[in-house]
Amino acid sequence: MSKSKNMVYKAIDYFIFIVLVMLLLIFILRPIYAIIRTSFILDGKFTLDIYRNLFRDNIRLIKNSLFVATLTTIISVIISINVAIYVSLSKGRIRKILILLLMLTMISPPFLSSLAYIKLFGRRGFITHDILGLTLNTYGWQGIVSMQSLSSSSMNAFILTGIINRIDKDIIKSSLDLGANTSYTIRKIILPMMKPGILNVALLTFVRSLSDFGTPMTIGGAFNVLATQAYLNVIAYSKMELAAAICVLILIPAAIAFTQYRIFSRKNVLYTQNTIANEMLDEDQDESIKPKGPLWRFIQIFASLFLFTMIIQYLTIFLTSITQYSYGKMYFTIEHFVHLRKYLGDSFIRSITYGFITGICGGILSFFTSYYVEIRKFRASRLLDFVVTLPSIVPGVFMGIAYILAFNNKPLELTGTSAIVILNIMFRQLPSNTRVYNANLSQIGTQVADAGKDLGAPSIYIVKDILFPMSKTAFMTNFVNNFKNTMTTVGAIIFLVYPGKKLATLEMFSAIREGKYGVGAAASVTIILITLTINILMSRLIMRWKNVR
Amino acid sequence: MKRLRLMVIMLLILALSLTLAACGSSDTEDAAGEEAQEEVQETADEEEAVEEEINLSGTTLNVVTTSGGMYAPLFEKFEKDTGIKIEFLEMSSGEVLARTRAEGGKPMADLWFSGGIDAFMMAKNEGLLEQYFPEGYEEIYPQYRDDDGYWYGKGLNIIAFIVNNDILEEKNLPVPKAWPDLLNPAYEGEIMAANPAISGNAFAFVAGVLETMGEEEGWKYLEELDKNIPYYGKRGRDPYTKVVEGEVAIGITYINKSILELEEQYNVSIIYPEDFIPWIAEGMAIFKNAKNLEGAKAFLDWVLKDENMQMLAEIDMKDTNMMVKPGITAYDLGVPMDRFVEQDLSVFGERREGIIEKWVELVGDK
Repeated sequence: MSKSKNMVYKAIDYFIFIVLVMLLLIFILRPIYAIIRTSFILDGKFTLDIYRNLFRDNIRLIKNSLFVATLTTIISVIISINVAIYVSLSKGRIRKILILLLMLTMISPPFLSSLAYIKLFGRRGFITHDILGLTLNTYGWQGIVSMQSLSSSSMNAFILTGIINRIDKDIIKSSLDLGANTSYTIRKIILPMMKPGILNVALLTFVRSLSDFGTPMTIGGAFNVLATQAYLNVIAYSKMELAAAICVLILIPAAIAFTQYRIFSRKNVLYTQNTIANEMLDEDQDESIKPKGPLWRFIQIFASLFLFTMIIQYLTIFLTSITQYSYGKMYFTIEHFVHLRKYLGDSFIRSITYGFITGICGGILSFFTSYYVEIRKFRASRLLDFVVTLPSIVPGVFMGIAYILAFNNKPLELTGTSAIVILNIMFRQLPSNTRVYNANLSQIGTQVADAGKDLGAPSIYIVKDILFPMSKTAFMTNFVNNFKNTMTTVGAIIFLVYPGKKLATLEMFSAIREGKYGVGAAASVTIILITLTINILMSRLIMRWKNVR
Repeated sequence: MKRLRLMVIMLLILALSLTLAACGSSDTEDAAGEEAQEEVQETADEEEAVEEEINLSGTTLNVVTTSGGMYAPLFEKFEKDTGIKIEFLEMSSGEVLARTRAEGGKPMADLWFSGGIDAFMMAKNEGLLEQYFPEGYEEIYPQYRDDDGYWYGKGLNIIAFIVNNDILEEKNLPVPKAWPDLLNPAYEGEIMAANPAISGNAFAFVAGVLETMGEEEGWKYLEELDKNIPYYGKRGRDPYTKVVEGEVAIGITYINKSILELEEQYNVSIIYPEDFIPWIAEGMAIFKNAKNLEGAKAFLDWVLKDENMQMLAEIDMKDTNMMVKPGITAYDLGVPMDRFVEQDLSVFGERREGIIEKWVELVGDK
């Protein structure tokens, strides 16, 4: 290879890296800096007044937040490991149905999931009150933990399934062939190999729970957390500076969790020699893998229970969309969908377009971020990784306000454009996208890349011909995740969207604001169906494209 | 290889420090730039005003409102009458305030339509609104308009009870008729009210109690009532939705068309208290630096005309007593004017913050 060619490749490499860093600085650090500085500047002067009593005043809320986030993380991780193993070791049609269910139930329409939960398990809930004859109080931390765990588990399980899929099936097969039972294979082979995925999923769930204010507001009752308090300070008490300070407070446990995650993942560097990404949707599993044994039974039952709960929840939403009440009597109707027709059109098409852009651009952006963090591993890579995590730590509303503060003036005036909405959604999803890639790339291991390098391949070819194709499961997972999030997001964008440029979720929310839950449910069913269809089509397309050996 | 890493790190540091420097310096510039820009904007607006008086047809008016679906017919009529197209976005008052503040003089919309008057008063004090005296200004009852012309009432929201008949029956509880009835210990955990800092309507309830019962008795009442309330709703709609869902028996809620319709759908009843009825005016206003200032002015002129007020009354399903100007015949909800609290409006303005602070102290973070 000629020297000049090498120089060109290096230049491209530098260029990509610098562009990446600039993007992260502009669209993550700049807005977060803009919002955090409001807590330090009072009447134009620098001050620490707000922080003086902050910790003491909020100690109870800090405990509440940590409690809920920890519990949610543990429950969600346990559920998703079980579900992922169940899906991965299932065969044929069952496997296809399971993956379809995961793709369906990870589309969690905001507010309506909580509504379904209340309808099923509330004081007069269908299951608790009408069937079991109980009158339970569902409000409080139980409600928050249940809702957060349920709504995050499908996505987590989907990510983990993608990870297990990357484990060479021959390893599992040979383990079973050598006489090891299923329990042993799961404990000694599958679980250890899932570890990078589990760590990433746990970190994401923890951080998301910390910054979630919607669920506690709807179902927390008198149980408050930091994120709700921050939200109320902006929306109700007009105390932006205090709200920003509470966001800083949320950053602390998140940062601790992040360091823990880093320590753990360093200890568990795992290598797989697998180079073939299995197709999640199409490929029939090798018939010779026949899982059995008590652990397998447990996983089966546990996962089925979870999926069953989710199905009931979605059925409830569906039922809400096709029923109406008249003097306390329920009847079936399509009037909600007829009513919805008024809203259909522009906003749904806009949402779908935004979804495609965030799905593809977000995937590419996170691939490169993860590539420099996990494969190239330079000294500042951990810092880079932390910066990328920030957007999921800051509650949605604040990322919205932060974007207005950062981009309502020159040099980069974006308010009022579609770009600011798309960028906001994309960068808010970057943490989970990058985590998915991190888990995938670290599983591929740096050796593959090193091997390529030893053979004299320039980085750019290693990226183009080895890493990118090999991690296409991650690309697919991310597309699915970004698309569904664009279709369901609501927290931040209410501050960024302009009249006449509404998104589908906002249509759903305006119906809910007016108390028209039926119409809201109809909108949400439409959103779910669109999202599911596009996600299935796109993931098939992505998985078909260029198989490497 | 080492050199490469070193270079990358140096570049990273360089980029970081450059951006930080840029952030630091741009903030002072931002403030100056903003002012300059505002001035430019203002003169531009004036020029536009002269031009646009000739023809506003074909322009777009951006509106933020509490409920677009409900007001869509009104907006469509405006479009037909004037040729000005309306695009709307639903936001709660708290969201409108937070967003407009952050936008620093570049508002997302031209007109703000509907929402508790307390938020409009706050916005006026913070300089977020534009002054305008529309045609028909004189006809509005003086208590429902701003003397300085920054905001106008568009109607009144009244506060009443909504009860879940199933729960009352199941737990053998009496139907509440008046405010003091709610103190009955039998209702423990069965009453829902919204947080008055979040919801203007919930604030109207607190204000009405203080106005009618007097400061001392009023606070004592709220403290007693607090014992029956499991927690305060964090959204204005919580009280009635929780009653419909069967989570509580009684909700202290505002009344509008979609809530009145609930009586036909579920086994719930709306009860107008016999002793007094708290209320709050809903506002409308033009945002400062509105892009389509003339369009927004045209809307205010238009909406205050009798026929359009009439349409609004029908959309909102308001009682004649709940309109802001005389001569509009609307529904008869059976809420006689003499039951309305004689509200000193300053309660929604300068006295609001003090009341909220005291309320937070009283209930803690429940």
